[in-house]
Amino acid sequence: MRRRDQRGPWYLLTGLVLGFVGGLLFAWGIAPLRYIDTAPASLRAEFKDQYRAMIASAYMATGDLVRAQARLSLLGDEDPARALTIQAQQALAAGRPEAESRALGMLAMAVGQGAAPLATAIPVTQTITSTANLPSPTLPALTPSLPVTAPSLTPAPPSPTPRGSVSPSPRARTPEPTVTPLPTRTPTPTPGEPFALQDMELVCNPALQLPLIMVETFDAANQPVPAVEIIISWDGGEDHFFTGLKPEMGLGYADFTMTLGVNYTLRLAAGGQPVPDIHAQECEVQGRRFWGAWQLIFVQP
Amino acid sequence: MSRWILFFITIIIGAVAGLYYGWFINPVRYVDTTPDTLREDYRADYVLMVAEAYQEDGDLGMAVRRLALMGDVRPADTVAQATLYAVETGYGRSDLALMQQLADDLQTWNPVLGAPTP
Repeated sequence: MRRRDQRGPWYLLTGLVLGFVGGLLFAWGIAPLRYIDTAPASLRAEFKDQYRAMIASAYMATGDLVRAQARLSLLGDEDPARALTIQAQQALAAGRPEAESRALGMLAMAVGQGAAPLATAIPVTQTITSTANLPSPTLPALTPSLPVTAPSLTPAPPSPTPRGSVSPSPRARTPEPTVTPLPTRTPTPTPGEPFALQDMELVCNPALQLPLIMVETFDAANQPVPAVEIIISWDGGEDHFFTGLKPEMGLGYADFTMTLGVNYTLRLAAGGQPVPDIHAQECEVQGRRFWGAWQLIFVQP
Repeated sequence: MSRWILFFITIIIGAVAGLYYGWFINPVRYVDTTPDTLREDYRADYVLMVAEAYQEDGDLGMAVRRLALMGDVRPADTVAQATLYAVETGYGRSDLALMQQLADDLQTWNPVLGAPTP
């Protein structure tokens, strides 16, 4: 009896270890983890990109921003507008179909502005009066507050949510046909006359650290026009970029960083006169020298 | 109390502690998953997105490529499963119509010709 007591409490630790090992055997051998019923937020980055592009394409087809936002929230992006914008730029750079980058850009704008669907997403007044106060055109840290509720990774309840509510779950879609009349789905600029260069000036703003070409496009009603393709060419090269891919700068805004010593010619793909001989130029303000930015404003007559 | 009883009690305590840790303190986080593991409602919604885009562009080949994201299942089967789910869970009529249209067109999809066969 006395000898048994001298064995001490080590058997308790043995029990704990055995229990733990048994649990592991059950978890790994008998009932191993199976990845099923996952949420879009858990997708690998490349699949998330495809999912996001699909959301944008569906948005272009339906113009249903509420639904697009609910779908975007499923991806768990901290800032959906920024994620869309970055992906749109990457798609452009990678030479992916223009429709894809345009759809991403349009949705980025709509989400960033909290705007109404496509055709009504335009009327945001933007007046450029003082170039000295222009914000930096480089992609900022971006901390916009979006009207999208924080995504929840918790599986949605099986019962459909009431009509019209916005929920990260796809089940929250409207159970009835959407009665909102679909707007015009063409994201292209307002039809009309080709854009004409209204103003071109060198902006001397110390906050702009890069030699930029900043393009703004406006329609006849002085509303910014997104998705305008801009072609910039130089000796031995050419590049294309679009307005509206930096929604935080305005729907009709686009910029291009110049290389020093290179002369550029800029024109809009839709037509109009090319603007030749654009090159980086220095500014000097109060003895401080920095690169200026060329600001070109195009307006539809 | 018998040593054997204490022994088994500690085994149970260990297992419970492990489960509590695994489920509540440090639960499994699914990352880097593939689309074929998505829950059924998400899959159905993805198919609906494809159907919405297909309604706009009419490009069945593109729709098939988009559906390929869902795994190795035949696109027609993917859409059929999603449509069934949509019917069961009360999707709107317009959504159902879009999915049904896509399903119908996929039934006659000829990957060689790249277009629905008459």
